Amino acid sequence: MDFKLTAEEQAFRLEVQDFLRRELTPNIWLAHRDPTEQGMWTADFTKAFRRKLGAAGYIGMGWPKEYGGGGRNRIYQTILWDEMEYHRAPGIDRSVTYIPNAVIAFGSDAQKAEFLPKMVRGELSWFVGYSEPEAGSDLANLKTKAVEDGDYFVITGQKAFSSDAHMADYGWVATRTDATSTKHHGLTMFIVDMTLPGVTVSEYPTLAGWTHHAVHFDNVRVHKSMMVGARDQGWKVVMGAIDYERGALASAGLVNYQLDRLLAWCAQPREGAAPLLDDPVVRDELVRLAIEAETAKLASYWLASLSAKGLRPQHESSVALLVKRETSRKFDAAGLELLGQFAPLRAGSPAVALAGEVEVEYRDHLYFQFAAGGFDITRNVVATRGLGLPR
Amino acid sequence: MDISLDSDQQMLHETAVTFAANVMTPARIRELEETDAGFDASVWKQIAEMGWAGALFPEQYGGSEASAVELALVVEALGQGAIPNPLFSTVIEAGLLLLDAGSPIQRETYLPRIASGDAILTTAILEASGGLRPQEIRTTITKAGNGFTINGTKLFVRDASTAEVIIVAGRTGDEAEDVTLLIVPQNAPGLTLRRMPASGGESLWQATFDNVMVDSDALVGDDGNAWAAIARLQLRGAAFKSAELVGIGQASLDLTVTYAKTREQFGGPIGRFQGVHHHCAEIYRDLQVSRLLVWQAAASLGEGLAGSREVSMAKAKCSDAMPAATRIAHQIHGAIAYYRDYPLELYYHRAIAAQAAYGDAGHHRRVLSELMRTDLDGFRGDNRHDLPVHYF
Ligand SMILES: Cc1cc2nc3c(=O)[nH]c(=O)nc-3n(C[C@H](O)[C@H](O)[C@H](O)COP(=O)(O)OP(=O)(O)OC[C@H]3O[C@@H](n4cnc5c(N)ncnc54)[C@H](O)[C@@H]3O)c2cc1C
Repeated sequence: MDFKLTAEEQAFRLEVQDFLRRELTPNIWLAHRDPTEQGMWTADFTKAFRRKLGAAGYIGMGWPKEYGGGGRNRIYQTILWDEMEYHRAPGIDRSVTYIPNAVIAFGSDAQKAEFLPKMVRGELSWFVGYSEPEAGSDLANLKTKAVEDGDYFVITGQKAFSSDAHMADYGWVATRTDATSTKHHGLTMFIVDMTLPGVTVSEYPTLAGWTHHAVHFDNVRVHKSMMVGARDQGWKVVMGAIDYERGALASAGLVNYQLDRLLAWCAQPREGAAPLLDDPVVRDELVRLAIEAETAKLASYWLASLSAKGLRPQHESSVALLVKRETSRKFDAAGLELLGQFAPLRAGSPAVALAGEVEVEYRDHLYFQFAAGGFDITRNVVATRGLGLPR
Repeated sequence: MDISLDSDQQMLHETAVTFAANVMTPARIRELEETDAGFDASVWKQIAEMGWAGALFPEQYGGSEASAVELALVVEALGQGAIPNPLFSTVIEAGLLLLDAGSPIQRETYLPRIASGDAILTTAILEASGGLRPQEIRTTITKAGNGFTINGTKLFVRDASTAEVIIVAGRTGDEAEDVTLLIVPQNAPGLTLRRMPASGGESLWQATFDNVMVDSDALVGDDGNAWAAIARLQLRGAAFKSAELVGIGQASLDLTVTYAKTREQFGGPIGRFQGVHHHCAEIYRDLQVSRLLVWQAAASLGEGLAGSREVSMAKAKCSDAMPAATRIAHQIHGAIAYYRDYPLELYYHRAIAAQAAYGDAGHHRRVLSELMRTDLDGFRGDNRHDLPVHYF
């Protein structure tokens, strides 16, 4: 047991910090931040940045060497995710975490050969097509159908809440291939080229200010070779890589950034009033938050440590993600309180506090509570998968 | 970085949990709680024989030079079994204090006998205010001939009735930290003990010193300069009490999950209800992060007050979350566990005592609050980071 980074791990952390400072200068920030995008960066910049991550060797660090992986353990990946989140860098998302790991686990040799080299260079953007208007938490209720027709499957249906679908090269799409089946039987996964005829993407503005998407499939002909895993066995694929994604999302960079930002706000001199940090009530609030942030950090490195040992944490990754996101929401709420009169002000307002970030995040992070890894569903998972309670 | 138990630690933990689960029945535990000693000497002897009493001592004193993480695992396991034992008084307070600040002769005299389970020792620090700061020590120590005279009243002295000596802290000057430690035989003339009945299974005592005289060789460390050693004692106490709190939480969770799976209402186990699922998930979540904080606290103990940030985080969180876990556990048990012969009450009571010991949550948040005010970098610990964007 060792709670300190090794010299090599620390060197890596500094290297990543240097990279991020170099690639995310204040000028770049001004030029490419975009509040209408989910990732808060323009689509072009996100894509360009992902290539830079690839060139720097930061994608696929944990993949096997034969797929262009860097053979570095999860501690290093967690350091990377931490720093990326702390600096609010774009690019570490499903396109470099969830999808490639699912391809490694379930893809055919041809799919691996085609996609992994491009993904490790950061050249591909993906969207995950699971949710539908009537299939949210109850994902197995999905209706999008794929009908076999010679060498092709013909896909028809609608996906909802499709993050970054507008910039995606490919979709990772769950369909129902057995019309007579219900629930998690008879589902099949496909990789869908977004340029195929019949694929359209529509827009939905969110209350966080960015635009979300939905994807419609109208008799889209997808070649059989793009089926992932076995026919009607899609549920296994869906579940198989989810823990890895949870692990990536569980990194504590965000909450540590939230803490440092509030500390900076509270430490600054105020005209006509003492700094907030002089107030013991304020400090007590920050201490409580700092303890929660510490637990999020420890949980993410605990997860990394288990993975680095070759174990496969499952409900543990759900717990770590729950801790991180609940903590982040505590920061959001406390941020409003500590910003006082300034809480509602948005970027551009005179006297805006912390560039309006706290208010934006208060809205944006709302989805932590119910989207994939949502709080109540996670508690279900912990109770049934983790503690073995009956359903 | 590696935040996980290695295989030896895992084995140690399993061994200790199994030991604690089998060494005595809940009925025997309750019986012991009614006695002055509060613990079973033969069980303590067994604990010592497992090597746990001397775990942190050097080999020359019969110890095995294990790490604080390992002792924390044992403390957690004993807490999980609710086993009454003098580990805190004898080892974590007195033993490690002597190892830290005692003379070679004092160490030689006591440590091997502590490690073998043959000597019970304790310390007497707290007084009327109940606080942990040096100015709250009002007991006086005055020079008298070749030795010292002690006058004052100490509270919350663990295991005083079975201890052969009590290491007492007293004031020697007007400055807050003018504090001295003396080893006093428990049967010294002028020393009287009175039981402080309390929840939580510990044998706590008021110790009144009325012109108690000791020789100069009773002095632990330097005369008038003992505060640093006392602060370290409290730090260790808080770290290991946090481990005990995790054991309390684990036992509460285990009892609760088992009960939820077996108790049937409305035609099936209550564990199928989502309200019950979410309560259990909450306990598990807080238990797991508390355990990580405890490991970190134990691993951070070292020279001086190293680890005080980490220890205060652990004690603050565990003191809040583990008693809360016992309350949720009772929620799920309903009336059955309201009766004393159901084992959950042991943990409900122990949580009351453990959250208070060596500083409650509020105390430790105040420590962290002060650190934040005076040393922001220290407060952030290993998470220190330059903010990437400057707003001001
Ligand atoms: C910002 C954002 C991005 C997203 N990105 C994607 C994406 O890229 N691809 C994709 O496929 N999907 C995406 N989603 C959809 C996401 O996966 C769903 O929101 C999620 O699966 C929950 O479904 P739902 O929102 O329809 O809520 P519902 O399932 O309708 O649930 C509504 C509420 O009821 C609760 N609830 C439901 N069932 C239970 C239960 N059994 N026990 C207790 N509570 C329950 C939920 O927790 C929730 O609070 C995204 C959503 C958001 C908000």
